[in-house]
Amino acid sequence: MEHESLKQEPEKKTKSKESDNVIKNILSWVINNIKFLLIPASRLDDLTSREREYEMKISKRKFIRRLKSTLTILGIAIIFFIVTLAVFAPWFSLYSFEHLAGVHTGMWDPPSPEHPLGQTTLGRDILGRIIYGARASLTIALPAISFSLVFGVIFGVIAGFYGGWSESIIMRIMDVFLAFPGLILAMVFIAIWGQHIEYIMIAYGIIGIPYYSRLIRGSVIQARELPYVQAAKVAGASNWRIMFKHILPNCIQPVIISFTFDIGGIILSLAGLSFLGFSDPQLIEWGNDIADARMHLYDAPWGAMWPGIMILITVLGFMLFGDGLRDALDPRLRNL
Amino acid sequence: MSLIKYIVRRFIALLPVLFGVLTLTFVLSRFMPGDPVLAFLGDRFTTEQYNFQLHRLGLDKPIIEQYFIYLGDLFTGQWGVSVSINKGQPVWDLVLDRFTRTFDIAIMAIIISAIVGIKTGIISATNRNKPKDTIFRGMALVGVAIPVFWMGMILRLVFSYYIPLFPGLNYKSPGIGDPPIITNFRVIDSILSGQIYLIIDYLYHLILPVFCLSFISLASVVRQTRSSMLEVLEQDYVRTARAKGCKEEDVINIHARKNAMIPVVTVIGMSFGGLLGGAILTETTFNLNGVGALVMIAIRNTDYWVLNAVVFVITLTFVMVNLGADLIYGLIDPRIRY
Repeated sequence: MEHESLKQEPEKKTKSKESDNVIKNILSWVINNIKFLLIPASRLDDLTSREREYEMKISKRKFIRRLKSTLTILGIAIIFFIVTLAVFAPWFSLYSFEHLAGVHTGMWDPPSPEHPLGQTTLGRDILGRIIYGARASLTIALPAISFSLVFGVIFGVIAGFYGGWSESIIMRIMDVFLAFPGLILAMVFIAIWGQHIEYIMIAYGIIGIPYYSRLIRGSVIQARELPYVQAAKVAGASNWRIMFKHILPNCIQPVIISFTFDIGGIILSLAGLSFLGFSDPQLIEWGNDIADARMHLYDAPWGAMWPGIMILITVLGFMLFGDGLRDALDPRLRNL
Repeated sequence: MSLIKYIVRRFIALLPVLFGVLTLTFVLSRFMPGDPVLAFLGDRFTTEQYNFQLHRLGLDKPIIEQYFIYLGDLFTGQWGVSVSINKGQPVWDLVLDRFTRTFDIAIMAIIISAIVGIKTGIISATNRNKPKDTIFRGMALVGVAIPVFWMGMILRLVFSYYIPLFPGLNYKSPGIGDPPIITNFRVIDSILSGQIYLIIDYLYHLILPVFCLSFISLASVVRQTRSSMLEVLEQDYVRTARAKGCKEEDVINIHARKNAMIPVVTVIGMSFGGLLGGAILTETTFNLNGVGALVMIAIRNTDYWVLNAVVFVITLTFVMVNLGADLIYGLIDPRIRY
């Protein structure tokens, strides 16, 4: 018995080392890709070290300079603010989560020292609810859009690379989903699955897929014929390797730009869905609060005002950042 | 002649998409929990009544057979009757009556945002990176970041409650009747029946909704106009025009603008889909009683037939507007032949 256990130990060690290596590899891959996207010339290995250093300095400065417009910095500041609000909501809010979801006295009470922004129908504190609302919006928007990004990119790359019947099948299905009115599609999905936060995420994830696959398919079709792809083919790389290691890193830029924009868009449509009463009514979410306040617009304007301002600020932050990112990365505007 | 051929070809290319949308609606609506027969009968009914209605609506057949009957019915124009809103009313009467209102605000909003957006985009392109440019772009972004329903509520609060300038709710003043239904479009019907005051009243009610809806596509029009104008202003023929001594406004309005418009038209067409979604939200805010309220009731009561007609009519409009955008290319750029 002892002998066996002694034998097993070194194996375990090597296994953990391997998994460490895998994690390290993945991390370095991610970092390299981010570097590649953000810093032009970061992958030019055939430069001499001095040239490379110089190139890196120049390109870094270029990117930062391009990103350094007032509006972009404002956008970054807003995103930072909203994320801080979401992460540290219990510290900022005067009331606990349970209190904000409970029923209290004080229906539509105007702002008072205890409730700085007033109270809702059920006497809940509006300030607390808009702080916690940041959590709901971000936790729905980010997974949903990542879902559509991943699947959209996979479908788009396959359609663009293989062409032929696989392209026509995928793109016809995507066309149908694109032509289908998005808001109604979301409402129908929610009606089928039920009003829960996970289902809202998946519904929006599915709705976003065709946009990304369209976006990436166009650039894949262009890249397919380029010499480096032909070279990889000649070298005997498999189709999957060509698609996801050679073509994808060169085509992902427009998708990254669109991603930042779409976070804002999805927060907006999510609020719209809640406004129509099709999201989880238990959720502390800005759209739900606006829908609540709709019937009391004239006698309690504070109920609708603050959640709307929060939506406006959040979406604006993501859009400003996306706009700046596009200006910095778009090759057509780079030299203007 | 080639234009007609082109339109026909585009129509044929559209058919699979429309077919796919109809199929998707069928599949999704059959997955919805709930029973349209219960929605039709209400609370009190006997088993016999239930079975009779189930048979009458064709829901007792196997699902595949239902699908083919459904497709056949679509071709013969029998889109069914509503089971939830006005029980027994043919869906087309219901949907067209409501949809034309949604369509009116959407089309007015897209026209306004196109005009204003192109003007603003050109101004910010010619003043690139100056304060004017930053202010216009920032304002356009604020416009797209505002949730349209919330903006509607604030407009109602300010311009119809605090300062009673515009009506805040509904699409007609109380006590004002409807024109006889000829085309279902309120404006056209009023003209045909000679009741001009109806048009004035109607448009007066639509000012706030259209204003707030036009912000949805404004930002994308401004952004696209700006970037394609910037691209065109770098071209050689613009430099030639300047060199030969054209006035700067002629260079922009005659030489540059037309050449920059094609991507803008595409963007306007594509943003119409989002605009129709926004129209559903806006009309809910302003109680315009359009297609949005209809589709919500239809989904809540699993009214397959109404949902189907609404989805079809919205899809068709979206697709048609994009076809129209493609045809406008030919007007802008005579080099494009179909």
